[in-house]
Amino acid sequence: MNQALDTKALEPVQARRAAPWLRRITGTLEIRMGLLALLLAVVLSLLSKHFLTSTNLFNLLDQSVVVGIVAIGMTFVILTGGIDLSVGSVGGLAGIVLGLSLLHFPIPVAILLGVLTGAGLGLVSGVLIGRFGLAAFVVTLGMMAIARSLAFIFSGATSITNLPEALNDIVYKSFFGLPANVLIFLVLYAAAWWYLTFTKGGRTIYAIGSNREAARTAGLGVTFYSVLPYVVSGALAAVAITISSAQMMSIDPLAGINLELDAIAAVVIGGASLFGGRGTLIGTLIGVFMLVMIRNGLNLLGVSAFWQGSAVGAVIIAAVLVDRILSTRGSR
Amino acid sequence: MDHSVPDLLVARAVEKTFDRTRALRGAEFAVAAGEVHGLLGANGAGKSTLSKIISGHVRRDAGELIWRGALLNARSAKEAIGAGITMVMQETSLAPHMSVIENIFLPELGRPGRLSYRRMRGRAGELLETLGIADSVPLESEVGSLSAAQRQLVEIAKALALNSDLLIFDEPTTSLSPLEVERLFAIMTRLRALGRAQVFVSHRLEEVFAITDRVTVMREGRTVAGGLLTASLNQSELVRLMVGHDLGNAFTTRPEPVAQGGKVVLEVRGLRCAPAVRDVSFAVRAGEILGLGGLVGAGRSETLEAVFGLRQRQAGEIALDGQPFHPRKPVDAIRAGIGFVAEDRRVQGLVPDFSVRENLLLGHLGAHRGLLLGYGRRQQEVRALMFRLGLDDEHLLDANILSFSGGMQQKIIIGRWLLLRPRVLLLDEPTKGVDIATRASIYAILRELAGQGVGIVVVSSDFDELLTLCSRVVVMSDGASLADLPAAILDEEKLTLLAAPRTSLQHNSRMLRDLAEELGGAGFWALLDGGRLCCLDVVVANPGADPGFRTGSVPLIGECLVRTALETPANGFVFEPDRSRQTLVIPVKSQRGHDMGAIGITLAGGAPTPPSEAIRSRVQALFARLT
Repeated sequence: MNQALDTKALEPVQARRAAPWLRRITGTLEIRMGLLALLLAVVLSLLSKHFLTSTNLFNLLDQSVVVGIVAIGMTFVILTGGIDLSVGSVGGLAGIVLGLSLLHFPIPVAILLGVLTGAGLGLVSGVLIGRFGLAAFVVTLGMMAIARSLAFIFSGATSITNLPEALNDIVYKSFFGLPANVLIFLVLYAAAWWYLTFTKGGRTIYAIGSNREAARTAGLGVTFYSVLPYVVSGALAAVAITISSAQMMSIDPLAGINLELDAIAAVVIGGASLFGGRGTLIGTLIGVFMLVMIRNGLNLLGVSAFWQGSAVGAVIIAAVLVDRILSTRGSR
Repeated sequence: MDHSVPDLLVARAVEKTFDRTRALRGAEFAVAAGEVHGLLGANGAGKSTLSKIISGHVRRDAGELIWRGALLNARSAKEAIGAGITMVMQETSLAPHMSVIENIFLPELGRPGRLSYRRMRGRAGELLETLGIADSVPLESEVGSLSAAQRQLVEIAKALALNSDLLIFDEPTTSLSPLEVERLFAIMTRLRALGRAQVFVSHRLEEVFAITDRVTVMREGRTVAGGLLTASLNQSELVRLMVGHDLGNAFTTRPEPVAQGGKVVLEVRGLRCAPAVRDVSFAVRAGEILGLGGLVGAGRSETLEAVFGLRQRQAGEIALDGQPFHPRKPVDAIRAGIGFVAEDRRVQGLVPDFSVRENLLLGHLGAHRGLLLGYGRRQQEVRALMFRLGLDDEHLLDANILSFSGGMQQKIIIGRWLLLRPRVLLLDEPTKGVDIATRASIYAILRELAGQGVGIVVVSSDFDELLTLCSRVVVMSDGASLADLPAAILDEEKLTLLAAPRTSLQHNSRMLRDLAEELGGAGFWALLDGGRLCCLDVVVANPGADPGFRTGSVPLIGECLVRTALETPANGFVFEPDRSRQTLVIPVKSQRGHDMGAIGITLAGGAPTPPSEAIRSRVQALFARLT
């Protein structure tokens, strides 16, 4: 039936398949970003002999944990076409709840209360955005201010320092040769990647970001899966602050400040589209590593902390620019 | 058309590529002052693109435009308007939150200097008067609150206000009632006499024959026939030029009437879903293709969306296989066995970042219960489906959906529902924006599906499509279903008149009501054709004079209560043999002499017979003024 028509419809695909191998390899977003990260690592190891040492590489991994965990939640949110500006403050408030709970409850209960605080605040934002259709930018901007102010009120504007020693275990206790915090980080990435790739919920999150109306028309649970990413984001912000609190053995009401910017930067460097529907967790992970590598490399090279902001900013813009140039679908 | 008149605008070898689609590959076009030039072609032939290039909305990649003998290089619509070229867009280009008057003078708002509001009001009032909507459309009303037809007329007024030498009308009649079309043609005739050049883009061939002097036909981005005299062509020659070959069976054969055996699978009664749907009822049998006809804005899409659970219902019942059915969200409908292909695949159909495979499986994903995807057990069916859609290469499953033609995308979205083996399939404008060959294969798929016992509901603004594809048509107007007729007794003219929005027929209704009340009887407006009466409107003031048919019904003339009057040509009132009723039948024509059916006045047999001549001249005068 309709031979002539069908061959015509196939033309563009044929043309694309005939493209050179290089283009095909660079056609995959993660590979593109991975190559870029590798290039950065090579440059840094040439510039500083301290870069490629096992201590420093472990350092890199350790520094990736907090921003990396927040970036998972941010990826969920950005995939639906939203944004969560409140992660830093929500994490900060959850940290204060954790600190205060530790005075009264055993450690696991206190951690659970902190994470529930993060998830609860995420649920509030998510319902306002996903159910009532408010703009994500505005809602999470408001939540950012509220959570930070509550963190100051609950903490009396001072750090909580008398934390139980055992809290330290969630960072420094080793399993299979890896410190607990790195292990948590890797397990969370694997679980989130599996969820986004192989479950109905994960694909729904992608579909919502790509075309919300089409997802609704196909019978997908658009409202539920628009809310869920903010809950995940809030909960993971709390997890991240729990880990950083355990590292420092002190909880500050200012904890997590500017964390949202690093998380968004990592997701964007990782190739996700801020309009939603496009991006992967592997990309985000690479974005996190690139961000941390730049900071680390500049530290090793003795570059002033004031210049680091410029460097990070330039890399964010360059990453997006390079992606746009290499991307075969840039014209869309 | 006198060929000694030099062409006002000439387009030569125009090329345009959007992304990967070559919309124009060497288009040629010429239009002269004082003519109406039809620009024809199937969907995707490039006529809209060419129009937009001429009017500066889109920039060309190659080729040249010659305007009054000099090269034209308009970089924007504003520059083209400055040169004297205006395009009448489809109604969507108006600013919905601005008033009618602001919209009409929108192009002037961009000019420097102060505007005289009083002068604008006067001018806008005149324009609406010529278009016949001065009473129904206040200048201050917000455009968003108008009907689709009224918005289209405001769009035309906006173009007329610019007083351009070349006017391009892009499918201006899609949402207009027949009376409004007549009026637009009267305006175009006047502009032609004033020496303006006009381009008329349309796929309604009868309109092309009615208004154009010459036609240019495009196919696949090329001009295949330029500047042919309309009078020298007939309909089938034109179709052959547009399509490139004879259309074959898909377009000529009407479907066999469904064997009466099919059970009703979906029944809708008194559906209400404000503001677009007021009162809609219809029923589909297994194995039947039912059409929902009407104009843009009649509430057809909203009806389908309500049945599919995308819209909340205020009233009305839906029954599926005889069981009450209350869809609250699409997944309820999907799991109950309903599929829905929405009107605009870019808005409600495609997930652009997904592969063909995932787009095909999206309905499955929606219906699927469970944490995981369940793609694996559909693998065999996906492969079979791809083969059926003509995509039998495994690689294509992983290709991005956007790399396919619009027609193939549409087939994939229809395929999404086929995979779920629905009992009822709802399709909204299933062939909008697809090429003519894909259209034929979509028709074939739908017929095959009906053959398997699926109940199919098709919404289409293309009346030819409804008549070709459907065995029955429910005509909707202003949110209500008002006729349910077998396609076999319908034609495009009857459908067009039945589908006319009641708001644009209110003058007629008022006239019928006035006459019926004054004379104490009943008034009706109907088409008489092929032994049947097609009732367009009826007002009964005295039940004793009820002619027995209702708006939208199409009885055999021989079975009407006023059959003798309908069958006997006469100048005065004609009595039925039993002297129960007396009826005056007045044939009516539009200003341009187009047959608009007949107005009938029925009185009770015992009533005194009024002078018929006075009534006749009153009706005919009114009709001439209305159109």
